[in-house]
Parts: sequence; structure tokens; C-alpha cells
Amino acid sequence: MQLKNIIDSPCGIRYMLDQLDLQSGFARRWLLDSPMMTTGDEIAVNYEVLRRFYDFVQRVDTTYIDTLCHKLCGLKDIRTTISNLSRKATLDDIELFEVKHLAMLGTYVAKLMRQHGMDGVIGIPDMDEVINILDPDGLRIATFYIYDSYSEPLKDLRNQMRQHPEQQDELLLKANEIEMAVREELSTKLHHFAGTIEQAQLALAQIDVNLAKAMQMQHMGLNFPTVSSDGASRYLAMFHPQVKAALENRGKAFQPVDITFGLEPTLITGANMGGKTVVLKTLTLCQYLFQFGFGIPASSAAIALKDDIHFCIGDDQSVEKGLSSFAAEMKHIDAVIKASRENRKLLALIDEPARTTNPTEGAALVTALLRVLAGRDMSLVMTTHYDIEPGDARCLRVKGFVDGEMDYALVEVQDGEVPHEALNIAQALGIDSEWINKARDLLQHGGAPIQQSDNH
Amino acid sequence: MPFINDILKYSSLSIVGLEKNTGKTECLKYVLDRLPVKTKRIAVTSIGIDGETVDQVTRTQKPEIVLREGMYFGTSEMHYRQRRLVSELIDVSDESTSLGRVVTAKALTGGKILLSGPSSGSSLKRWMGSMGQYGIDLVIIDGALSRMSSASPAVSQSMILATGAAYSANISTLVSNTAHVVDLVNLDLTAEANMRMLAPLEHGVWFIDTDGVLHDLNMLSSLSQDIRFEGMENCATLYVAGALVDSFLEKVRQNKHLRQTEIVVRDFTKIFVSPQQFKLFLKAGGRVSVLQKSKLIAVTVNPTSPSGYVLDSDTLCGKLTEAIGLPVYDLLKSKKCN
Repeated sequence: MQLKNIIDSPCGIRYMLDQLDLQSGFARRWLLDSPMMTTGDEIAVNYEVLRRFYDFVQRVDTTYIDTLCHKLCGLKDIRTTISNLSRKATLDDIELFEVKHLAMLGTYVAKLMRQHGMDGVIGIPDMDEVINILDPDGLRIATFYIYDSYSEPLKDLRNQMRQHPEQQDELLLKANEIEMAVREELSTKLHHFAGTIEQAQLALAQIDVNLAKAMQMQHMGLNFPTVSSDGASRYLAMFHPQVKAALENRGKAFQPVDITFGLEPTLITGANMGGKTVVLKTLTLCQYLFQFGFGIPASSAAIALKDDIHFCIGDDQSVEKGLSSFAAEMKHIDAVIKASRENRKLLALIDEPARTTNPTEGAALVTALLRVLAGRDMSLVMTTHYDIEPGDARCLRVKGFVDGEMDYALVEVQDGEVPHEALNIAQALGIDSEWINKARDLLQHGGAPIQQSDNH
Repeated sequence: MPFINDILKYSSLSIVGLEKNTGKTECLKYVLDRLPVKTKRIAVTSIGIDGETVDQVTRTQKPEIVLREGMYFGTSEMHYRQRRLVSELIDVSDESTSLGRVVTAKALTGGKILLSGPSSGSSLKRWMGSMGQYGIDLVIIDGALSRMSSASPAVSQSMILATGAAYSANISTLVSNTAHVVDLVNLDLTAEANMRMLAPLEHGVWFIDTDGVLHDLNMLSSLSQDIRFEGMENCATLYVAGALVDSFLEKVRQNKHLRQTEIVVRDFTKIFVSPQQFKLFLKAGGRVSVLQKSKLIAVTVNPTSPSGYVLDSDTLCGKLTEAIGLPVYDLLKSKKCN
């Protein structure tokens, strides 16, 4: 799975990418095409590199970072040119220019990195020989044409052109033939460097991506995670950057949440508006950020590796594809159950399953789901409003209203009993009292239909 | 040559034709042949596809653009490959046109080139901005067919307008329509106080009252279906951020409180009003002014239309000069008409 496949996940990873200050379109494409990492070694190596960039961003002067960023803006996608070179095609002037431009950019960036002890972090291959081929006069300027010094007869023809403009067309024809021969010769020489050039382009993209990730960590206050070895994931002061930014825009603060979950199912209950969905969104986001090598929005995080991540949320986009909300949700959970039978490490985050059906069947579906998935080798975090028997599941509960303020913290409780705060919250929202009071009446009468109506 | 010296006072020039075959490319050639390339760094590009060897619409022969040694130019990849001069590549942009990416290069010998630069106003502006790093003194834009946008003062500081028999074979129509465009280009700038207040407003219709207070008329644009002028008895200045159109101008003229008001638009390219409607508004006592203005350096004429119709050059030049009060040049005759 590549980053581009999950970019529209409702967990909000697109926001993280939008907030990533990448300099070149090529780096963005490379990042979107990068596969999800699923081994501890890959992730450890990735974070080791990112840590070097993070330290670099912290200690180095901003004008220096700006210079580097400005240079990386010049990174172009020249994969077509490189592939032409690999298959021994003759490059035209524009392609030769692209190669020279990349080689000079690579050399310059390598020099900048070396100045700050960053040369070993992401190696840019030495491009001097490539530049020498395309810079016969040793000018070290990133422009290109078939220079006079490539061929004495060419030089003569061009001088004649300047002296006899009336013969230009004829002289140009002759010159073009020599230029063609020069291009062929240059392309042959460069052919051996196709791999080097490709490597340099990739290294520059990686520098761009790591620099952007490091700057994002700094701006958003993200941290490095550790790879959890016992299958449990532990987050302290976890937050959702997009929700946090939206709240801060309205002058409000985001309350970070601590949460731990392992291989036994975890059931989250709590009042409406208690942030349960945000917790699931953030957990999904963090898992993806971890396996695509970004900083993690938490003060500390130890995260267990997964092969597959399933985030089932009611407002799934498949609703737009014509399925009813119930059908879409059932299909999605069905996929989780099927995947859980395979021998893969799974993380499933399911938000209020079966919420759109009647409470009797809904509660039965949720209880059964919990029972089915409990025995599997997977991590499951599920939220619900139904009163169900949790069985072996761990139960967490949003603290809820304390002295009129919502406390979003999660506390461990012994049973899955759901809080009955919906009416209080509705009242706090200023919802019409006729409606709310009638609901209270109904509850006090044990759910029995009210005998009297207002009309009587 | 006063014409050329005038051009050198500005850092950008666009050459626009009122119609195809009004001699725009001839005019560009004339200018390029006479600019002092030894002392000034000149860059040339075009907006969209231009500089075809044969006119795509009328199939008539079009002059190719001849660059001189030392000139910089921006064209598409495709046309760069067809160049007939020796040139050094300086940049290949990320932006694509229908003919490939835009390539910037410097001519190392004189020679012919087909120009096809950035295809939108905003990418043209970016290209022009990037010329700064090469120390360019003057950027010349070959404006595309009836696209005044490249002549917008937001893009270029000065302009040359090419008109001719291709636009109208009737001398008096040709003269009055050309004079209308010239009038628009030469509209006065509004007062500085207005400018400060109005320049940041990019949408809608607004007015400033006699006490200098700004009011939003809550209209999307002058094209709005529901144009109402209420509570505007003390309106001093009416500002249309987008296009100014006939129907709007007519409604203003018919409102007794507004007919002598000043209408401000961003620049002349935003005015889409017929000469008749425009004259009626001025006659009623109204004024139109702009926030930004480009300098009209000259008007050139091509008395020959692609259909073969030839107007009398001297009569045409004479009448135009009289109507617009500016020097008019017939470049093929290469003389200033008086």
C-alpha cells in the first residue's frame, strides 16, 4: 500500500501532507508513491535519518535552511530523460540541460549538507564527471548548449554565421549535423551514468522530504515514536493536529489524551461530544504517520507495527457510492472480519458500529462482533453507545462532564456500562426544553408510552 | 527614434493587435530590430501560441520573429526544437503549455524563432518575475489575438496597439473603434485617496460617499441580475472590482443621483462596454477612471487586410492621428504619419 492510497482516509492524513512544506513536485510524487513500512528495521532506519534532519533543523540558522529549501525548489522530475539515457537514446538539448541542471544541483546540495556534517545521512553520488561532460569550458553555470569547444568546425561555422547572416540557413544546416554528432557522443558518455543520475534525483527528493518532515515536527510539536515490541501501543498526550488547529482558530484548546491498547479488544464508551471519534481518528492517523515515517502528535508514543489498518467510521465515503449507511458500514466491518482470519497483524478502529439500526439488534451485533474478534490476533479499538456485556474487552470511558466542563480524558472502568448523559448534554447545548423534558418524562415512566398528550 | 527611446523608459512592453493581421508581428520585428542590444538586456515572449509561419486562421504568410544575438526569449519546448539560431538554455519551467514546457534561453547568434510562451496571464507574470534574476532590463510580450489581458497594467507597464484594415475595411469605423480603445487605455487614474481605499477590494461593487466612507453594495459583480442603487444619493465614486458591462453602465446613467458619478475600474482591460454606451455615459456627465494604467507608447497601422483590401495609408494615418492625438505609424512604410 502506498501513501497515495490512504490520502483521503477520514483520519485526516491529507491535512498532514498539505501542511508539509515540500519544495519540489518530484519529492511530493515520490512521497505519495512510497510504500507503507511494515518492518521494525525499516522504520528504525527511517527515523534515524529523520532524527538527524530534526537535529539539523534545530541547530542550524534559518537563513541556511532557506538556502537549502530554495535550492531544492529546482529539483525537477527528469525520469523520462533518465530512462531515455538508460536505453541509449540520443538526448536533445533540453534533456542534456536537465541532466546538467540536476548534476549541478546535486553537487551544490551535497556541499551544503557537508558543511553541516550531514553528508553521510543521505548520500548524493558524486556528479563531477557528469558535469565535466556537459561543461567543457569549466564555467560551472547551470545553462547548456552545444558549446563551441565541443568541435572546432562547429565553432568556425558559428563565427561565419555571425559574419555572414545572409548565409545563416545554409550554415545552420551544416552546424546542425555537427551538433547531432556531438549530442550522440555526449549521450554515449552519459549513458554509463544513468544509474548515478537516477540515484542523485532520488537522494535529493529524500532530502526534501526529510527536511519537510523535520520542519513539520518542529512547527506542530510532533515527537519521535519508539517501536513497541510487545504488541501494545502506548500514547501520552496524544492530539490530532487538524482538530487542534481548528479549535485554536476558535480560541479553544485541545485536550490531549493518554491511551494504551494491546491485543485484547478495547471498548470506549462515553458521553456524546466526548471526543471518542476524535480518539479513533487520531489513533488511525498516528498509526499511518508511524508507518510512513512522520513525527507523531503525542508527547511520547510506543507503537506496535501492523500489516493492515482498518478505520471504520459511519460517514464512510462509500455512502456516496450509493450504499446505504448501514450497508456501507456492514461491508467495511465484514472486510475486517475476513482479514482477521488471515495471518496478518491487524489494527481495526471501529466507530459506533451498527448505530443506524434498532438498539436491540444493534446491541446484539456489537456484542457478537466483540466476541468474534476477541479471539483473533489483532488490535481492536471500538466505540459504542450500546449497553453491552464487554466480556474480555478492556473498557475505557470518557470522563465526561465534570463541574459543567467536558473532560476528554479516558479512564479505565470495569464494565461497559454506558453513561446516560445525552439529555444533560442536549440541555447544555440549549436544545428546546419541551423536547428534552418530554424525553425525561419518558425515561421516568420506565420507557412506557405516556398516556396523556398535550391535546387533552 | 523617439518611439524606441520611449520603450526603454519601461521595464515591460506588450504589443497587442485589435485583430489578427493588424501588423502586430511586424511591429514586434520593427521594435526588436531597433533596440540597443549591446547596452540593454532584452527578453521576448508571447502569450499563448503565436509566431506561426503561416497564420492559422487566414492562411496568409506571417513574418517570423528574428532575434538578435544576446536577446533572451521564452518559448515552448516544441518551438525551441525548431529554432533557427544558436542559443543557450537557461531554464525549463515546470509549467506546461499545449506545446510542452516553457523554455528560457539566450540567443548566441541572431536568427529566427517561433514564439509560444506561457499560456495564462498568471504564468506569464511568473515568467516575467523570473527574468529579474538574469538582469533583464526590458521584457517584451507579443500579445495574442484579441487578448488584451497581456496588455493589462498588472502585467506590463507599457503597450503598443496595432490596428488596421483587418479590423475594419471602413476607415471611419476603424478610426472610431480604435479611438475608443485608445480612450480606454488612456483613462485617468482615480484620486490617490480612492486608490488606497479601493485597491485591496478584489470582488464586488462598492461606493464611496461624499464623506469619504466606503459602502459595499453586496453585488457579486456588474453582471449581477439584481442591480439596485438605493441610499446612494450622496455617492461620489462607484467602484466595480470586476468587469464593467453595458447593462450596468446604462443603469447608472438612468439613475438621476448617479449619472454624474465617477466609476472606477481596476484597469482598462476590465471594461467591456460598447463605444456608444460609453459615449452616452460621458455625455450625461459621468466619468470613468482606473486604479492602474499602462502607458500607450504608440499606435501602429497596417492598411492591408488579409482579404486583399488596401486602405490609403496617408488618409488612414491622418484620420487616426486626428482622432486620438497620438503618433500613428505605418511600419511597412516605416515612417511616422502626420
